[in-house]
Amino acid sequence: MQMVTISDLTHTLNLWTRRLRLQRALLWALRGFVVGLVLSLALGSLGLYEARLLRNEFLLLILALSLLTPLLFGLTAYFWRIHPLTAARRFDLLFHLEERVSTALELTRHPDHVPPEILSLQLADAVTASKKVNPSRALPLGLSLREGLVALLFVGLIGLVWLQGETWFAAARQARAVQQAVEAQAAQIEELIQKIEANENLTEAQKQELTEPLKEAQQALQDNPSLESSVSVLTSTGEKLQALSDPQSQAMSEALQETGNQLSKQEGSPLQSVGQELAQGNAVNAANELANLNVSELSSSEQAQLADQLDALAQSLQSTDPQLASQLSQAAEALRNGDPAAAQQALSESAQSLAQTGQQIASSQVASQAASQMQQGAGQVIAAGGGQQQQASQSGQGNQPGQGQGPGQGSNQSSQTAGAGGSGSGSGSSTGTNPDGSEAGSDPIAQNNGPGDGGVSSYEQIFAPQLLGGEGGPQVNLPGSDQPGGDVIGQGPTSPGEPGTSTVPYNEVYAQYEQINNQAIESGDIPTQFMQIIKNYFDSLKP
Amino acid sequence: MALSVDQFRKHAEKIESEVSKVIVGQNEVVRHVLVSILAGGHVLLEGVPGLGKTMLIRTLGEALDLKFSRIQFTPDLMPADILGTEILTDQDGRRDFRFRPGPLFANLVLADEINRATPKTQSALLEAMQEGSVTVAQQTYRLDEPFFVMATQNPLEMEGTYPLPEAQLDRFFFKVNVNMPNVAEMVEIMDRTTGKETAAAGKAASGADIVKMRELARGVPIASHVKDFVARLVLATHPDDSNASPLAKKYVRYGVSPRGAQALSLGAKVTALFNGRFNVSFDDIKAIAPAALRHRLLLNFDGLADGVKTDDVISELLTAIPVQA
Repeated sequence: MQMVTISDLTHTLNLWTRRLRLQRALLWALRGFVVGLVLSLALGSLGLYEARLLRNEFLLLILALSLLTPLLFGLTAYFWRIHPLTAARRFDLLFHLEERVSTALELTRHPDHVPPEILSLQLADAVTASKKVNPSRALPLGLSLREGLVALLFVGLIGLVWLQGETWFAAARQARAVQQAVEAQAAQIEELIQKIEANENLTEAQKQELTEPLKEAQQALQDNPSLESSVSVLTSTGEKLQALSDPQSQAMSEALQETGNQLSKQEGSPLQSVGQELAQGNAVNAANELANLNVSELSSSEQAQLADQLDALAQSLQSTDPQLASQLSQAAEALRNGDPAAAQQALSESAQSLAQTGQQIASSQVASQAASQMQQGAGQVIAAGGGQQQQASQSGQGNQPGQGQGPGQGSNQSSQTAGAGGSGSGSGSSTGTNPDGSEAGSDPIAQNNGPGDGGVSSYEQIFAPQLLGGEGGPQVNLPGSDQPGGDVIGQGPTSPGEPGTSTVPYNEVYAQYEQINNQAIESGDIPTQFMQIIKNYFDSLKP
Repeated sequence: MALSVDQFRKHAEKIESEVSKVIVGQNEVVRHVLVSILAGGHVLLEGVPGLGKTMLIRTLGEALDLKFSRIQFTPDLMPADILGTEILTDQDGRRDFRFRPGPLFANLVLADEINRATPKTQSALLEAMQEGSVTVAQQTYRLDEPFFVMATQNPLEMEGTYPLPEAQLDRFFFKVNVNMPNVAEMVEIMDRTTGKETAAAGKAASGADIVKMRELARGVPIASHVKDFVARLVLATHPDDSNASPLAKKYVRYGVSPRGAQALSLGAKVTALFNGRFNVSFDDIKAIAPAALRHRLLLNFDGLADGVKTDDVISELLTAIPVQA
């Protein structure tokens, strides 16, 4: 009889164990696939619910999880530690070996506990029995039907989301666009701050005054980058910056530039260099040139010419900067009177005033440009949020972001929703081509309407809606309108109310507005992501 | 000289073969009785009268070439009748008490209808069964090896029976139920017993062979997880155990004692050898579990009132307890 050793048994055990590992790996890989699908569906659904996941990202998530988890599960299952004795016991049961293998293995580990004859007999018996085993029958390598069906179910669900989830993907695209737009605006604000701080024409106080609202806006965008908050922040920052700009500075600047052009053309005149600086719009440098002008070095004819030029300069600045004009006139007068010292003193004071004016102009221009950028930024954020309708309706209040060159602002959300008269200012180039543009006040005043005849400038609009919800909406005739059937919906003092207050208790009109709001939401005109905001707003107003 | 496994099997097969010459059918009963003998335990056979219980034991006695004695238990049987007694003898004018051994002094004792005797007499067997000795008049006498008690009893429902005390029951290695033979067996019984010739069993093994076979059986290894299964199974018969089955929780008053685990382990070793294996399997345990445990489970009043059998509880436990923890 051939001597049987433990290695014969362990060799067979190793073969079986390898097969068991493979079987486990296959089983767990399929389970991992199911887990991957479930995870990807759950995460994907969450991402879609929060409008964060784009279609390609959704696909990437599914592919990554449904490939990685089976791999991870399969490898873990394959390399999971299997104790040889535990495996032997399992094989005894699987192959109906009646505990031959496990007993033999145990005996070989403790050979002192049993007579050698019994040990060798047991070992031989176990090896003989194990050779009759067909492991492929008891340990088949296949995929489980149950797990397969579950996997198919989840594949179907993911397919359903993929095919039917366009609304969610669109919302995610909009949310992503808003996020990018907000980030771009934050970067632009940072750039603006740096430009302001590098501007030599501005004093430190002016720089601080200009950068403070920008820094606040930057922080606010960082804290809450949502569409509503971002638009609100950009708009309010634009308003703050706009308030820092002087409406007359443009006219003043143009007047100085015009005068500078004329002076620069007079070859050899004492004020030619001052004129050149003014023509280039650099009033501060012009002031320095003026301060450096030494009257005593001029000949009498040159002094006379200088007096004339100063008079001309004073005349051109009379309407925009009377103080500077007066100082220039005093200098001219002193020259004519042959008092160079007084003339020099007056010129010095004029240079000082001119420098201050230049700084004011620079500050105002910067503030105006920054305000414009803020308004454009708000428009870009709204546009990124899929706000075509929103944008269009805003234009009905004279606020066409991104097109107007001047500041455009207005209470573009609440006043519009409530249908109440909102105020807006802007110089957008929209001509009311959108459906809502027929509302009163929607046409911008594209003509000279400001002081100084400077062209397009800000103005105040009066918003008086006649068609709520655009064309096709209910006809609402406000009290006092000249439309037939204009019902009086409120009784109160006939004197105009305080700005921003209503003369009609809102609890009387709330129901009507709520109904209109509901109709608007149900009509599908409101973008999905704004529905909740609008609902919350009306809920907060509920009397 | 130690016995080999092949020799063990040959002896065992020969004993069964000789017994089967007389006993028709009842293979499982014969096997269990033989397992019990080879494990060194005593057997209690229960069945209605006329099923061949006594015949089986007597045939085994013939086949094993052992000193055989039969005690017919009756209500008036006294302990001294089975243990022996001291009698006054007169030898050379000198009177002395001399011990006269009773029928218990044999290798194979048939305690027929043991539950017809009073508990006092039944208990007289306790020392002999557990210690292999008898104490009379402060004198202890060893019984010859091997010593087996093969008891038969009628079902307790029958009149004139005294249930065996729990301690007495626990000392029986197996309790084997003898059931009615089927039609073919019944015909065979009629043929064998109503003809001119009566079958007789020949000698198949000696007392020395039985001792050697017992020693070999004790050397059969049991894997640790099989032992663990035995322990869990026995503990699960206790109603307070966490692994107890619903039937055990509801109907069992006292579970199986550690003697039950010993009987399972030893009986399974012999069964393994009978099956040509050198190790104990779960199937060996399951095959002998009812015989080893049924008389060690004490049912409560609800169990007795509802007619629950201890075999039902054991069967449920064998299904409920996983072979691997």
